[in-house]
Amino acid sequence: MIGFAALALLAGVLVSLSRQINGRLALSTSAWESSFWNHIVGLGFITLIAIVFGGLFAGAPQDAPWWAYLGGPIGVVFIAAGSWLIARIGAAQTALLIIAGQMISGVVIDIVMGMAGNAFARIAGVALILAGMWVARSAKD
Amino acid sequence: MVLFNGTLAAYGSLLFASWVPHLTGTVLAIVILLALRPRRVGGISRPPVWAYLGGVVGGVTVMLTSATMNTALALSGTIALGLAGQMLFSLFADIRGLFGLPQRMPKARDYLALALIIAGNLVLIFLGGAA
Repeated sequence: MIGFAALALLAGVLVSLSRQINGRLALSTSAWESSFWNHIVGLGFITLIAIVFGGLFAGAPQDAPWWAYLGGPIGVVFIAAGSWLIARIGAAQTALLIIAGQMISGVVIDIVMGMAGNAFARIAGVALILAGMWVARSAKD
Repeated sequence: MVLFNGTLAAYGSLLFASWVPHLTGTVLAIVILLALRPRRVGGISRPPVWAYLGGVVGGVTVMLTSATMNTALALSGTIALGLAGQMLFSLFADIRGLFGLPQRMPKARDYLALALIIAGNLVLIFLGGAA
């Protein structure tokens, strides 16, 4: 259990590490080019893993709705934006604002898709995050 | 993005849910590069070779989260710990100015923002679902 918790924590560290590496590449190239390299190198790496371990087409991926394939194009913009931001507002601010945006849009998507949830906790959680974003925004001097 | 990729994972394997967005993303990135031809801001400075390896780190991340999601940590625990790891390492990187990025000392206000957003996340992750 402690081992798995450490792995989950490490996954978060790697998210930040990846953004910093891409940000460094964007410093010498451009945010879009950095996003391109992130995707093509990642594609090569995952393909390699799939060849070694197999299981890439397990399940019934052909049954997924067409809009499920939109994650990739959104990811291109996401990586480019992160690479651009991190050199300008820092790793911590970038992570903080991305997390805030993710959580709030997650709540909105849950509500739109009719997922059951605790309304009070949703309001309190979003209010806390918005307050945090407001404080972070006014920290510039 | 997480919703779309997560939907893919619900139908196919997690590997597939990471492979497809990288494939479609690569295609779109090529189109964007051809269409916009963004100027290389760095001029003559060549990026170090390791700067091209961000995608590998991203691939390892997918494997780690797919491993921990199916343990007692579940999705909520995986996300909460992942956010903690992301924030702690980001702060550390800013303070030390790691990987050739500008060094930054967080101010008291940054920590207050951090505390508020973490608190909001914990409320959403552990109390926001159906009772």
